[in-house]
Amino acid sequence: MVDLSNILSNGPEPNEAALKRYLDGTASDAERFAIENQMTDEAFMNDAVEGLQNFKDPQVLQQYVLQLNNDLQKQTNKKKARKLKRGLKEQNWTILAIIAILVLCTLAYAVISMYHR
Amino acid sequence: MTHLFINAYFKVVQKDSYQHISDKELLLKFRRDLDNQWLGVILQRYTMLLLGVCMKYLKNEELAKDAVQQVFLKAISELHKYEVDYLKSWLYTIARNHCLMQLRDKTKFVAVSDQTEMIIGNHLEESMLEKEQTLLLLEQSLLELNGPQKDCVTLFYLQKKSYQEIVDLTGFSLLQVKSYIQNGKRNLKILVTQKLQQE
Repeated sequence: MVDLSNILSNGPEPNEAALKRYLDGTASDAERFAIENQMTDEAFMNDAVEGLQNFKDPQVLQQYVLQLNNDLQKQTNKKKARKLKRGLKEQNWTILAIIAILVLCTLAYAVISMYHR
Repeated sequence: MTHLFINAYFKVVQKDSYQHISDKELLLKFRRDLDNQWLGVILQRYTMLLLGVCMKYLKNEELAKDAVQQVFLKAISELHKYEVDYLKSWLYTIARNHCLMQLRDKTKFVAVSDQTEMIIGNHLEESMLEKEQTLLLLEQSLLELNGPQKDCVTLFYLQKKSYQEIVDLTGFSLLQVKSYIQNGKRNLKILVTQKLQQE
């Protein structure tokens, strides 16, 4: 019996590995259906697959994806590192202030006890 | 020194450990912490798709890669300013517009096929699935579609044939097959909704 609910359901979102297999022509029937189903529903997926099929060499495509991800990671980590550095600098001042207050308190205690004696 | 360890740790674990977190949740974390690393995790999910979209329009591998970099920069610099609910659609729009602008700048003609007019998020409501009656109406509505749409929808959704197999079986072009499936599904939705309202 045919399953009419296939028409209504959007199905699971295919992952990157399945997409690579689809491009290589090695995807399973289920993966192929999931990808083409998404292509029917979403212009993003449709355009992406059509564009990816234009890459002559899958190795180049893989290299580009890796390169883009590395650059992206550097970009997003840089700002985090800057923020952390700034945070640590601010923390240094807090620690110095606490130490100064403690030293002052100790000195005050010493002076008061000397005065009492 | 501490931040170097934190960064190294992030690099190693982030790719796998966030797979179970949805885009929406990661966006919430990003807005809450204002930490770009969350953004990095989400954007990486779309690198390959964005590269494909840019390649489709620019037809040049290097230009496509540069365009994706630009899209990422735009996302990093702008996402903290606006409340974006559907990042996937937002990224697609940004990438597509960026490519079209580039093509316009070069005064190149770009033929935007009907395929790009596909409706984003035109998903049939999941609640419809729960109704047994909906499936009956769907079966009736399928018969009301025009010939090519009915054939392509049946072959694709019910017989699970691939685009290429449908092309081979029907003699339609790939573009026609995609269009018949897409329009057929949209018409089915309209017909079923109309019938549900009548009842």
